[in-house]
Amino acid sequence: MAKPKTKLENKPQTVVAPAPKWNVVVLNDPINYQGYVVIAFVSVLRITSPEAKKLMRTIHQNGRTTVWTGERERAEMLALELQQWHLNALLEKDA
Amino acid sequence: MPELRLSMTAEARTVLTDLLKLIAPAAARVSVNRAQIPDNDLEIAGFWTENLSAHATEEARLLAHAFIQAKGDPAIIILRDEAQACAFLRALSAVRFALRDLVFADISDDRLEDPSDLDDDESLPTEKRHALACYACFGLLQQSLVRQLDPEAFD
Repeated sequence: MAKPKTKLENKPQTVVAPAPKWNVVVLNDPINYQGYVVIAFVSVLRITSPEAKKLMRTIHQNGRTTVWTGERERAEMLALELQQWHLNALLEKDA
Repeated sequence: MPELRLSMTAEARTVLTDLLKLIAPAAARVSVNRAQIPDNDLEIAGFWTENLSAHATEEARLLAHAFIQAKGDPAIIILRDEAQACAFLRALSAVRFALRDLVFADISDDRLEDPSDLDDDESLPTEKRHALACYACFGLLQQSLVRQLDPEAFD
């Protein structure tokens, strides 16, 4: 009786890396008023006015801040909406 | 939210309307030029450029229309809801950026932050001082609207 052939299958292992996160960064600008920036953040980021003020102050002090981090498609949409408000918004891959 | 109102003298309305006729068509182009459009994906870059341009053009049209419609003295602009007020705010911002880039490119940001100082600067040509006064007026209108939308936004 023939031995059943045992064949070891070398299935390639797939390692799924998590998708990289993207940051939406807003830079300070000399034209838009602070109150205007607060209104823009509340409208686009759907955050409260105190949260928006905190972000706006950080930008004013540090010249820039990350206002949102997450998946690329959403980050692109938010950056585009912030640019519709004429804010200096850009996308950066999260380190 | 009830309608929002902006009022100005009839003279201010006339002056600002005249300036808008000149600068509003350029505002959309300036908006797109200033935007940080991702350049690593042609399809996305094309979509962004088209979207920003269409948005800015439509809002410039809204702004020009609102000024033309404002009658009486004081001239009153009525914005029917928050969405329209936000569009108006964005359009004012675009116009200020356009003035900054096209008319005041040689004036530093620090000096522009307090345009009242520049009013007395006789070294500036009259047209530029005139545009500076309008730039300040557009800013005042923005601040008035922001205070109506969120009274604590400037605190």
